[in-house]
Amino acid sequence: MKLKKVLASVLAAATVLSSAACVNAEETISLTLWGAEEDQTLLAELVENFKAAYPDFTFDIQIGVESESTAKDTVLTDVEAAADVFAFADDQLNDLVSAGALSSLNEVGEALQVAGKSLDDVKAANDAGAVAATMIGDQMYAFPMTGGNTFFLYYDSSVISAEDAASWDTLLAAAEAAGKKVGMTLASGWYNASFFYGAGFTTGLNEDQTTAIDWNGTSADGYTGVDVVKSMLNIAGNSAFMAIADGDISNWIAAGGLCAAISGDWDASAAQEAFGDGYAATKLPTFTIGEDQVQQAPPYGYKFVGVNAYAENVGWAVVLADFLTNEEAQAARFEARGLAPTNLNVQASDEVQSNVAIAAAASESEFGVLQRVGGKYWDPAQTFGEMIAQGSLKADDDAGIQAALDSLVEGVTAPIG
Amino acid sequence: MKKMKSNRTSTIVMHNLLIAVLAFIWLIPIVWLFCTSFSSYSGMNTSTFFPKEWSVIHYIKLFQPDSVAQFPQWFMNTFIIACVTCVISTAFVLMVAYATSVMRFPMRKPLMNFAVILNLFPGMLAMIAVYFTLKTFNLTNSYAGLIMVYSGSAGLGYLIAKGFFDTVPRALCEAARIDGCSEARIFAQIVIPMSRPIIVYTVISSFLVPWMDFVYAKMILNAGVSSKYTVAIGLFKMLDKSLINSYFTIFCAGGVLVSIPISILFMIMQKFYVEGITGGAVKG
Amino acid sequence: MAGEKKGGAGAAVGGFFRAIGKYFSEFGTAFVKGDIFVKLSALWMGAGYARRKQYVKALIMTVLEIAIIAFTVTFAMQYVPKFGTLGTVKMEKVFNMQTMKSEFNDYDNSFQILLFSLFSFVVWAAAIVVWMKNIVNAYKLQLMEEAGEHINTFKEDLHSYIEEKFHITLLTLPVLGIVVFTAIPILLLIFVAFTNYDQQHMPPSELFTWVGFSNFLSLFGGGGLTVTFSYAFVRVLGWTLVWAFFATFTTYIGGILLSLLLNSTKTKWPKMWRTLFIITIAVPQFVSLLLVRNFFSNGGIVNTICANIGLTGFLRDIGLVSTSYIPFLSAPGWAHVMIILINIWIGVPYQMLIATGVLMNLPADQLESARVDGAKPFQIFRKITMPYMLFVTGPALVTDFVKNINNFNVIYLLTENVYTTTNQAMANSQAKEVDLLVTWLFRLTQDYYNYKMASAIGIIVFIICAVFTLIAFNRMIGNGKEEDYQ
Repeated sequence: MKLKKVLASVLAAATVLSSAACVNAEETISLTLWGAEEDQTLLAELVENFKAAYPDFTFDIQIGVESESTAKDTVLTDVEAAADVFAFADDQLNDLVSAGALSSLNEVGEALQVAGKSLDDVKAANDAGAVAATMIGDQMYAFPMTGGNTFFLYYDSSVISAEDAASWDTLLAAAEAAGKKVGMTLASGWYNASFFYGAGFTTGLNEDQTTAIDWNGTSADGYTGVDVVKSMLNIAGNSAFMAIADGDISNWIAAGGLCAAISGDWDASAAQEAFGDGYAATKLPTFTIGEDQVQQAPPYGYKFVGVNAYAENVGWAVVLADFLTNEEAQAARFEARGLAPTNLNVQASDEVQSNVAIAAAASESEFGVLQRVGGKYWDPAQTFGEMIAQGSLKADDDAGIQAALDSLVEGVTAPIG
Repeated sequence: MKKMKSNRTSTIVMHNLLIAVLAFIWLIPIVWLFCTSFSSYSGMNTSTFFPKEWSVIHYIKLFQPDSVAQFPQWFMNTFIIACVTCVISTAFVLMVAYATSVMRFPMRKPLMNFAVILNLFPGMLAMIAVYFTLKTFNLTNSYAGLIMVYSGSAGLGYLIAKGFFDTVPRALCEAARIDGCSEARIFAQIVIPMSRPIIVYTVISSFLVPWMDFVYAKMILNAGVSSKYTVAIGLFKMLDKSLINSYFTIFCAGGVLVSIPISILFMIMQKFYVEGITGGAVKG
Repeated sequence: MAGEKKGGAGAAVGGFFRAIGKYFSEFGTAFVKGDIFVKLSALWMGAGYARRKQYVKALIMTVLEIAIIAFTVTFAMQYVPKFGTLGTVKMEKVFNMQTMKSEFNDYDNSFQILLFSLFSFVVWAAAIVVWMKNIVNAYKLQLMEEAGEHINTFKEDLHSYIEEKFHITLLTLPVLGIVVFTAIPILLLIFVAFTNYDQQHMPPSELFTWVGFSNFLSLFGGGGLTVTFSYAFVRVLGWTLVWAFFATFTTYIGGILLSLLLNSTKTKWPKMWRTLFIITIAVPQFVSLLLVRNFFSNGGIVNTICANIGLTGFLRDIGLVSTSYIPFLSAPGWAHVMIILINIWIGVPYQMLIATGVLMNLPADQLESARVDGAKPFQIFRKITMPYMLFVTGPALVTDFVKNINNFNVIYLLTENVYTTTNQAMANSQAKEVDLLVTWLFRLTQDYYNYKMASAIGIIVFIICAVFTLIAFNRMIGNGKEEDYQ
């Protein structure tokens, strides 16, 4: 026993004395990495660059496919088997953290010394909103990769003028006149929340991971939830409006028949193709509550790269995650896939500034909302949207709307389990 | 069946017309699948039944692997898994069926009751436990693990084969026993050769499992390495929200290509299949 | 399956316990009456064999005993002592900059403890059975020796495994497979129903522990988890039963009718027609069902056609739809009917194959005499064909019903991400009107990691299936048919 202890302390001393990152260079460092299907080519290039940047070490980096939108499901099934470094959308951050699947960068961020920087440098290099979205409490859990994970209005400028696109009333009137339709997803807690956020309502997370929601009351701006639902019902009831199921928007855009649609940057190419020269994108329109025009405020989200809490080479995983989201990587990602950067320098570049879809998304960053909700939010919110889409609520039935809102709130705030 | 009493031409025409109409209805989705796979448009066509422009481009793409679609590789993977699964499953099923049908031993009834009880549980539920069991033996992300999941419990599906063996004349086995044949020889050289239909039935149905399953495969091959997928998960993942618009037609093409060999298999084996199932089903 | 229930389920269970009782009494006699070597076998499993000069068997038993002891000491003892609490040490870790790795404490993983404890229990149970059997065998050998009978050599023993003990050779591997891949996982999930394994207690980062019956209480409205859980449970259960009934009988009857149609003498090219129908089974379900779902989606091709020919407008005029499309798979009622229709589409060809085979064996003399008596085709169908089909395939019908209760594929592939409920009480429990109990529990585990409730639901599904099967078997086939055919 004693000998073992002595040996251990000698070894420890020896390691401390050796080079800065004190890893045995002979040893192969194996890492696994998950990214979206569309990102695979880019990731392969970046990984090669990464290896080239640290020529003193031997890496064995496996790249796997896992969509950013479903990363959570796969990771949480078996955290220990999940990739060391993986990309995910910001709405999963909370579930991942509460299941203990992500390394807190405050704890392991030291590793960035290898790349000659610190966590504060990462925070300073990215826009404040993105950095805030990676934090829970004072702990940072992921590296921001792309921004603009939100939705906005695509429209055909040959049918709808820029002024018409500013409000739902004029938008729908113009579409009606042209015999075309405006498409939006209502049956999704991501899309339909934008009306409530616009009117000053909020969602949030409690300490115990349940969701806080105030939609059945009165907002800070003085509107009631019933007011908002009535406005939504008026829009949904308009014959030029078309409620589209989540994920079907692209089909509808491609099929023609829409002159405007609310979607995100993933549909940019579909919209460009369908609208041709008339292709335009702008912030979400305003909607009418009583006399007022209220700006629809979408959840404004990001995509992150996180480090698995159970990664074997967690330090190098952090370095790799940073490498995949640093200025060069974000510039490359923008170039390859047209995704909005979060890095301030890349954001400022001319190419980014002139991108239509990114500009539309970016214009929403000032009123967009960071949507933090628990797992119990989505199903009730989706159902609520579907009720509006199918017209099962009536605009003149205040009590009915209030009851529906109450039961929405009841479902969303239910304890986990 | 002998001819029914009225045999006029008009009833024959009506009769066949009825079948034709039914067949037509039954085939609409299949024809749609087939036509869509030849569309030049890669997303889903929602406005017309037939594609606006015909093209084989998506079949070509299927054989030019990119990071998403590695069809030839998937096909090989699935084929290998299917072959091994089908050998093990068939062996297990025949062994259990023979033991419970022909042989008599004290634990026979309790074991069979146990099997009935196990079959009543929703299998989906046990998935997570199966996964962790495999993980214990370091068999996740391996074909060996997948094969074990597909064939490990195959013995539970012995009932149809048992029903078939029940119809094998006992006198034959008795005669062999008197001649001094061992039980093993009766099994291998008398009963098995007589059971071609049920063997074919078991082989086909177990061969098909890996081509159809996406739930277990997705869970066990969870490293995200697309070249290791089976056809089912590979195609299934093409329908991901972010991919469906560029891969829907490829999905259809892949679906057609998987169906062709299975259809041919079915056609060849149709006769045995019918005899196999019914031989077993008749006896419950 | 049918014949096994001869004296009803009670007899089966009774027989089972009687067998166990006999086993124990045999063991008792052996141990009490056995000589010193038989008794020594209780400690050293090879003793009895060694005494009767069966050295190879003695060696095998000794090795087995050592293996079990080694398993117990090195493996089982790590987990079984924690079984009562399912672990107490939470995971903690510290990052070490020197190695660039995290250092973990020796934390407990509740799931692993549960799984491996269970695994140990199964191994031990098997070991006890072998141990008892071993003593009984040792006693048998003693008796044989006393009577001066021939005692098998090892070679003869081996030979018995292809003779009278051939069933052991046949059954060992398949049963092992079933135990590892079906029995243990099911047992594990039964245990999970009594724990609080959910999103807030997910290993490896968190621990979970025993909670007794509280999950079942909340399923039936008592536990106060969500008020709507029991509401949703009743609705989902109702639809599950309705679905299983219709799915089973529509395809069953449809299959018989189609097979009669195809096998009629009036049919030209019956083989070709049959092949055409079979193609629909040959397309993997995840392809055909996902396709059909897109076919009937709100913006799908069928809706486009219906809108073009004015059907949608007509239905809206008579008040059947309120939307600009026909919600084939997205509104209650519509979706329920469509799911059953689509199931007919994929199920009938399969049943047709079975019916074809069974009807080939239809007693021809009965048909002939009925025809001579001037029976109409429908009468023949009702009086002769159907009773014969029911007699022959009755048991299969029961198994089909149970399979449909657990029919995951059809419902999941047709409705996942397509169907949105507008019933808030259902949504608040993550259920939909079109969910079966299995799809509901699948989503509870996949999306909400609510393993405890999923397991509780799973047990309920099992009980329903068991009760149904027992009643059906006792009603339909009281008499044992099995031996009649042999």
